[in-house]
Amino acid sequence: MSRLIDVISFEVRRNIKKKTFWYTTLVLPVIIIAVFAITQASSNHATNTSQQQTTSYSKTAKLAVLDETGLVNKQNLEKLHIAIEPNKQAGINAVKDGQLTAFFYYSNDVAKSGIQVYAQDQGITFTPPYNALASELLSQSAVAKISAATHNSQALQIIENAPSITATTYKNGAETNSLAGIVAPIIFFAIFIFFAIMISYFTIAATTEEKENRVAEILLTTIKSRSLIIGKILSILLLGIIQIIVIIVPLIIAYAIFHNHIRLPGGVSLSHIPLDPKAIAIGISVLLLGLVMFTGALVGFGSLFPSAQDASRYLALVIIWAFLPLYALGYIVSSPHAHIVTVFTYFPLTAPSTVLLRNAVGTLSNGEAVAAIIILFVSAIIAILFAIRAFSIGAMSYNKRISIKELFHQ
Amino acid sequence: MPTLNDKDLNNNIVDVQSFAMNFGRKKVINNLSFNVRKGEVFGFLGANGAGKTTTIRTLLGLYEPTGGTLNIDGKRYNPRMSATIGYLPEERGLYRNELVINTMVYFAILHGLDENVARKRAFTYLKRVGLADKAYERLVKLSGGQQQKIQLGVTILHEPSLMILDEPTEALDPVNRSLLMDIIGERRSKGATVMLVTHRMDEVEQLCDRILMLKNGSAALYGKIDEVKEQFGPQIIVLNFSGKLPANDKLYKITKKSANYAELTWRENVSTDEVLKYLANNNELHLKTFDVRLPSLNDIFLELYKDEEAGK
Repeated sequence: MSRLIDVISFEVRRNIKKKTFWYTTLVLPVIIIAVFAITQASSNHATNTSQQQTTSYSKTAKLAVLDETGLVNKQNLEKLHIAIEPNKQAGINAVKDGQLTAFFYYSNDVAKSGIQVYAQDQGITFTPPYNALASELLSQSAVAKISAATHNSQALQIIENAPSITATTYKNGAETNSLAGIVAPIIFFAIFIFFAIMISYFTIAATTEEKENRVAEILLTTIKSRSLIIGKILSILLLGIIQIIVIIVPLIIAYAIFHNHIRLPGGVSLSHIPLDPKAIAIGISVLLLGLVMFTGALVGFGSLFPSAQDASRYLALVIIWAFLPLYALGYIVSSPHAHIVTVFTYFPLTAPSTVLLRNAVGTLSNGEAVAAIIILFVSAIIAILFAIRAFSIGAMSYNKRISIKELFHQ
Repeated sequence: MPTLNDKDLNNNIVDVQSFAMNFGRKKVINNLSFNVRKGEVFGFLGANGAGKTTTIRTLLGLYEPTGGTLNIDGKRYNPRMSATIGYLPEERGLYRNELVINTMVYFAILHGLDENVARKRAFTYLKRVGLADKAYERLVKLSGGQQQKIQLGVTILHEPSLMILDEPTEALDPVNRSLLMDIIGERRSKGATVMLVTHRMDEVEQLCDRILMLKNGSAALYGKIDEVKEQFGPQIIVLNFSGKLPANDKLYKITKKSANYAELTWRENVSTDEVLKYLANNNELHLKTFDVRLPSLNDIFLELYKDEEAGK
């Protein structure tokens, strides 16, 4: 036991000091933050630019409108120095002749036929906000008219901003929050997938390192291969947990600060995330067993090869199983009793992703959960035994790959 | 120093009996038996592919034997016994990107030492081999010879009572080879047993009490060095001369010859006196010196494996 702790301690300490560990840990959150920041900045910039362009454009350009609807506010037009053109063709001709920069035509049935804009072509490098201005002139005037007619400020707000929706749903008489309820258990699926992406190559490298450095022979005479492999698997899991913490902690802090402002598509509020103890317990069990099985399989797989470079060529053969259930996502969400979902639920390599997804969307029965956990428990033990066997046999095969035949006959 | 128990009445620390090893259909070791006695330096010799490394790996539990028994201190080896064993494998290396001191301490801990003791001994050893200033360097920054010294440090830091050293002086310059031989000698003087695998016959003659020469997976020669030399066969006559060395198939056979030097073996039923008298009376030959001696281990090694060399 103490040697197991020595192995874990040594493996964690030396890997945590590696720059590559931190590069791989931070690359995903940095990309997410960067993309989010760029998107937000671009969105704000685009909104500001659009508003500025609309205002300044109306001041500098020569514009005219023909409003057959009678909806467009004349005072607004005066304020923006936009002329009124009595004839559609004359307006179009004025644009053609260069007397007008743009001419907006609101026909009688504008709601059906849409706004027609005729404007000078000013090249592809400059896009004047014809459409935004033409649209805003009409919509602002329409809103003002409705508001004046109803004398109801709430009606005006409803027209300007669609109201949020707070849905309350019930299952078996108890109140549920179906979409927000997915959030907590789906995190276990996200962690599993993240682990599959981030840790797989690292695991292979950590496994072949002993062979590449010719350390395996000394190690195996000082410590049992079982202790060494279990120590390696646990240290990899610990390192994975450290990576996950590095990513999740900022998200939790962000949630604590902004939870009242975060909304999912469809208007689902995240101000309160329901925590279903059963779903959480299943999520933790399946995640841990899945990670142990997956890491064991990777360690065993890596042990068959003389170097990480050789192993990485075939790495997809192992990690594809973590992602395969995503191809059946539609069935998993809407047809949980489809044959493919059943197969994916009970086949050890696809079980973690499938069961975690079904646990999140609420289509996993208690019986299925127990069966899947038992299968994963047995599979995790088999994966560890495979890893021990492969490492023991492959550790001294410095230059060649171990075949499956050799694995079982040596 | 960790000691092995002393129950073994015949004083053997390593005991190999009827060891056989097949890899698939290929027979690598065939009915090999030998022992290594406590406190001795045992030379385990053989050409490349003779089965030395396979024997050592099986002895240390890395391979399962096809047949026979291989015991250390009366038991099949398992890693729990590593506190008493120091193993320097043929295929060796350490964590290249790890600090020298961390590597030495880690392996010493795995061999059962307390961390503080391990650290103290590591610094003492580094000072001894002139690498004290490299303690906090990454191994990859060290030269091959320096890494070799660290590797030996990892093997002996826990002061094992049995050291199994596979080509320990490989890649070392003469100065460092001498230093390493001194360290091995010191360990021996403190009672440690050394099982030495080497191609260097001068090291064997210098250090070993007994040897085993392995050929095609079997013991070709085994015993004390003098016994092995006698087992191997005839003594040789070594001549320094001028003039012309005559051939005489009835009396002797010339095994090695250069301009003024030759080695002869004499025929059965012929005495050395007869050979020397014949040579001394030959008018075309002027003998400067002559010596009658056992063949060197190097001679024996070359003779033993000459058919394999010719086969290549």
